[in-house]
Amino acid sequence: MNTPPEDHDLIRWLDDEMTNAERTAFESRLDADPKLKAEAEEMRQLSQSLRNHVPREMPVPHADFFNSQIQVRISQLEMDEQRAAARRGASSSWLGGFWMRLLIPAAALVMVGMGWLALHTPPAAGSVVVSIYTPDSRVQAATVENVEAQATVLLLEGLDAMPADQNVAGLSVHHAETDSALATTTLFGKDGQVLLVMGKDPHNQPLMFTHGNPRG
Amino acid sequence: MPAHTASDSDEVEDIELVKRSQTGDMRAFDALVTRYRGRVYAMTYHLVQNETEAWDLAQEAFIKAWRAIAGFKLDASFYTWLYRIAHNVTYDWLRKRKIQGDGEFDDERTDHRVAAGAETVPTAFAAPDVAMKRAELGERIQNAIAQLSPDHRQAVVLREVEGLSYEEIAEVMGSSIGTVMSRLFYARKKLQELLKDTYEHAT
Repeated sequence: MNTPPEDHDLIRWLDDEMTNAERTAFESRLDADPKLKAEAEEMRQLSQSLRNHVPREMPVPHADFFNSQIQVRISQLEMDEQRAAARRGASSSWLGGFWMRLLIPAAALVMVGMGWLALHTPPAAGSVVVSIYTPDSRVQAATVENVEAQATVLLLEGLDAMPADQNVAGLSVHHAETDSALATTTLFGKDGQVLLVMGKDPHNQPLMFTHGNPRG
Repeated sequence: MPAHTASDSDEVEDIELVKRSQTGDMRAFDALVTRYRGRVYAMTYHLVQNETEAWDLAQEAFIKAWRAIAGFKLDASFYTWLYRIAHNVTYDWLRKRKIQGDGEFDDERTDHRVAAGAETVPTAFAAPDVAMKRAELGERIQNAIAQLSPDHRQAVVLREVEGLSYEEIAEVMGSSIGTVMSRLFYARKKLQELLKDTYEHAT
């Protein structure tokens, strides 16, 4: 955006950004041009009002909380960084190929089971309590529940990244059937073979049955 | 560039608090936060015209400052350094909001709220009617500033409130001095137009 040079002169005069020679010359112009002088006076009045009425410092709402929150957020950031560094260090050690092959399908099964359980467990009145145990203390688990959507999302933090060259096969589920009388859900493969049967025992604990290797 | 006032010269100097912060002393940094939070908050508030966002942005600025303070070479005053961080945080926020195009900064918008306490505190006790008029004028000016585009508002705040030179404004805003002058000119013209009734009634 460009403004004519005379406007720049007016602004520079107003903001005291002129040399003495420039100022003298411009003030001569002001004396000779009543319209320009009136505009300059209006702008000066505005400038003075802004300086008088716009505070340079303002009281911070909930000032003590403002300070304490800064410290809390800094601590959280530093803990996140420490956890990330620990994960990076650990990923190159024990959790190698063999264990990875076993753990990832196992984790997938546990997640499927928990998701099913969450969907088939009637919510308690007013609240739902989900207790989660993670054998690896570096893994943090949390759930986010949306009652309206009747969905529970399980969040796992701290899992090692899956290597790009890792060949992990999941359950290739073609369709599922629910038997309300037996309170079971059966997952079927593309060819109609049973992959997994999920139900509950008399103590309301999840039960899962597979026939052979469900991943084929 | 605005410098720290000498009103608290009896307190620990900024430089001492900065050096202690650089060694990880959170209490020293907390003292700096307490000292400058009012100015940083005022700056972010004037630019975003929203109390909650200004509060969050001011916090963000201090958090970034803490994380960068180890690299601060003390070649400028702490506030100058902090001010640039706060400005960058706020400018990034404004830029993202502008990209999202939610109309927040439409020049025609007129329903901005004015923060409680945003009016200048009189330097001496004034008669109630005078104080009220001052508060009303302050509120009208704040409302007028809120209706400027972000670039115009920023230029005016940096010049009139923070007292930066053209060169410093250009550096902070990443633009040429010519652009700064243009923005100041048009911002003031717009403010004149918005405050025309106020001044006519005052005279």
